[in-house]
Amino acid sequence: MVTTTTSKTHSRPPFWRDLRVLRVVGQFVAIILVGLVLWWLFTNLVDNLNRAGIRTDFGFLTQPTQFTVPYFNTFNARNPVWQMVLVGVKNTFLAGSVGIIIASVLGLVVGILRLSNNWLAARLATVFVEFFRNIPPLVVIVFFGSAVFTFGPLPILSEALELRLPGSSDTFLLLSNDRWGIPGFTSRGNVPAYLGILVVGLVISVLLWIWRTRVNLSTGEPHHRVLWSLGALLAFAGLGYLVLGGPFGVEWPSLSENRRLIVSGFAMNWGFMALTGALGLYTASHIAEIVRGSIQAVPKGQTEASSALALSAFQRYRFVVLPQALRIAVPPVINQYLNLVKNTSLGLAVAYAELTALTQTSIANGRPAVQSIVVMMAIYLAFSLTISLALNVVNRRLQLVTR
Amino acid sequence: MTATAERAPAPPKLSPLGWLRKRLFQNVGSAVLSVTLIVILLYVVYRSLVFVVINGQWEAISRNLTLFMVGTFPRDQVWRLAAQALMLGLAFGIGVGTASGTARDKAKQAGLAYEPPLLAGTLKRFWSLIAFVLVLLTLAGTAGPWLVVGGAVLVGYIGWHSWRLPPSMRTLGWLLTALLFLAGFQVVSGTEGLAWLPVALVLAAASRLLVPVERLETPLRQLVSLGAPLVAAGVVYGIYQVIAAPGVGWDDWSGMILTLWWSAIVIVLAFPTGLMLALARRSTLPALRYLATTYIELIRGVPLITLLFMGQFMLGFMLPAGTVFSSITRSIAAGTLFTAAYVAEIVRGGLQSLPPGQMEAGQALGMGIPAIMRRIVLPQALRAVIPAMVGQFISLFKDSSLLFIIGATEFLGVRDLVHAQADFRVSAHAETLVFVAVGYWAIAFSMSRESQRLERRLGVGET
Repeated sequence: MVTTTTSKTHSRPPFWRDLRVLRVVGQFVAIILVGLVLWWLFTNLVDNLNRAGIRTDFGFLTQPTQFTVPYFNTFNARNPVWQMVLVGVKNTFLAGSVGIIIASVLGLVVGILRLSNNWLAARLATVFVEFFRNIPPLVVIVFFGSAVFTFGPLPILSEALELRLPGSSDTFLLLSNDRWGIPGFTSRGNVPAYLGILVVGLVISVLLWIWRTRVNLSTGEPHHRVLWSLGALLAFAGLGYLVLGGPFGVEWPSLSENRRLIVSGFAMNWGFMALTGALGLYTASHIAEIVRGSIQAVPKGQTEASSALALSAFQRYRFVVLPQALRIAVPPVINQYLNLVKNTSLGLAVAYAELTALTQTSIANGRPAVQSIVVMMAIYLAFSLTISLALNVVNRRLQLVTR
Repeated sequence: MTATAERAPAPPKLSPLGWLRKRLFQNVGSAVLSVTLIVILLYVVYRSLVFVVINGQWEAISRNLTLFMVGTFPRDQVWRLAAQALMLGLAFGIGVGTASGTARDKAKQAGLAYEPPLLAGTLKRFWSLIAFVLVLLTLAGTAGPWLVVGGAVLVGYIGWHSWRLPPSMRTLGWLLTALLFLAGFQVVSGTEGLAWLPVALVLAAASRLLVPVERLETPLRQLVSLGAPLVAAGVVYGIYQVIAAPGVGWDDWSGMILTLWWSAIVIVLAFPTGLMLALARRSTLPALRYLATTYIELIRGVPLITLLFMGQFMLGFMLPAGTVFSSITRSIAAGTLFTAAYVAEIVRGGLQSLPPGQMEAGQALGMGIPAIMRRIVLPQALRAVIPAMVGQFISLFKDSSLLFIIGATEFLGVRDLVHAQADFRVSAHAETLVFVAVGYWAIAFSMSRESQRLERRLGVGET
């Protein structure tokens, strides 16, 4: 800012009116003030806890939990608290990932249906979105947990509905108000070897993909990379299954002799189903809006240009509209996934043993509240910040490179 | 927008049969989809009708309507709620009237024709809320609720005519709105404790706007502009000390009124906090920027329920020994901390959407940073984020259901009281939940329609 017009009459102002000094001083004052407030809160906390005779260290993490986790037979009351936290994290991610799958599939379908030329489909999709977007997720969760499972029309476990495949004695779905059974996989011994084969197949299919892309770029002949790599992967999966003599089989759900347990197949408890179903529906309504918005955000000229190039409807979507819509949709959709995982903390309302519910139970069982909450928040925070960082990277990759 | 509307050819009018063929049975896929959906739709409608008309035990709701609305609020104090409804109706009417008057003034200044909003449009936007209220009134079956709602609508309609007042009285209109809103709050909560503070703040701010400082001599001007707010605050404090009428503290509020007031209080507290955070995050001072960014990212990384737990289990320990706040107050603090971070991100979006030329123009005119912010940047940035703020309010309104988890009996939590009654211990769980869901939906849907209208009217997202 120093120009030739600056003369001796323009001396520096006194330091208490010098903006450069004030800026530095102001920042120091702000930091000190915030630090003082935090310090004051922290000393209060320590003083109060000491006065109340509550320990202020994290030693409780290695003490026995003293309660059992419902539906988790491998966990007993003598396991230390940190294992309980791990169980909570695992259940949170289990519910989160299943919820994400439901929400993505449903959201994509509903979002595309909203743009459908079919009047009825578009209207019903709108009704779905406007309904689930405007009620609290907790109400949906409690509805599933209470009105469908606990007090709902489903029979108790010992009288569970067993839906059989037509013409076979295998149950493929077992419905009760407490647990549902679905078919699961059972190992016949060679699963690690089979997984190894799958990994090799995956590596080879990735290499094939890269090779076909290169061929396409250098010679211009069609790459058919999906065909090549998927074919290779499927070939490995099929051949491996045959060579190892069937390393795993499908296991149908069935009840135990006394009809109190689901002994085979894959059993899901009611809290899990209420939570994932409700969050799936709720988040699907948000994802549907994102899908619709990002498809509509692709300029109309793009569609018209691809029609002018005589692309078919499928080609128009696959090569012109969807790649551009995806670029717009990915960041908000990942945000919705993040919200869904954070919303699994509502599993508390249906007694699903995720991180928040277990933390609350452990506080109720006399574990120090402050440290428990700090541990819980740190886990959520670590997860969210990781996803945010990943989102930033993805965003940068997806940005259009403008010339 | 109008240009494209004119260019687009009008869609050809179809005969009913042609419409069916084009919109439902255009090709095989569409026909299969239509038939499948019609079958599903008929089944769902049939089951819903059976549930609503035949099987539903709706007396769980009709007998407990008061409980759902006001919860455990002392029954001999319900007149306070009626008075509150009237005051809020008047405040709302005057607010809408003043806003519409301002729009008229602006249109007149710009020489444009003003198109008053149509009643039909309003009904179309708020139909869900109106229908819900009408259903409630019908179910209630007594005259009291009809009188209260009718009275509130009537005074609201009278207040709406404030648009006829001359433009110089617009500030007065806003002042009245704010004061009536606060009075409506205090008619229930009483005037003890710190209740004088919000009123004093509003009047202090107003005294700077209402007193014509510009006409005074320079030394006197500073004295008045500093002294008037202080005098106003002092007078309000004195009056409140004299009144000191005890009321029903918000720990005794429950049901729908707790849900509504909790959301309203939290958004009112979180807005200025979030605004400050957004300005700090956009600041050129790195220390402020880092502090604000850290706060925002930390809060946005955790679920609201963990913050509510923190409010329940930790906040008491973090204050000097002996300070005791009620559970609702602590949840308001937690909700404010949470919402402020989200408001900050919304406001930051608005600030970023402004071209830097606006700020530079202000600097070129020799304005200081606070003046640029107050007179140039914030009015434009805040107008751009109004729809997003309404969206945040809707999500806060929905999140208020989490109070149920920490043991408050808000709209969802009232169900526990209903099902503690001997008649409904194991029955009617679905009915009460459907009622609660419809209640939340009716309010949130109206608000989201309004936010969509604001978005269109303010032209957000258009260049």
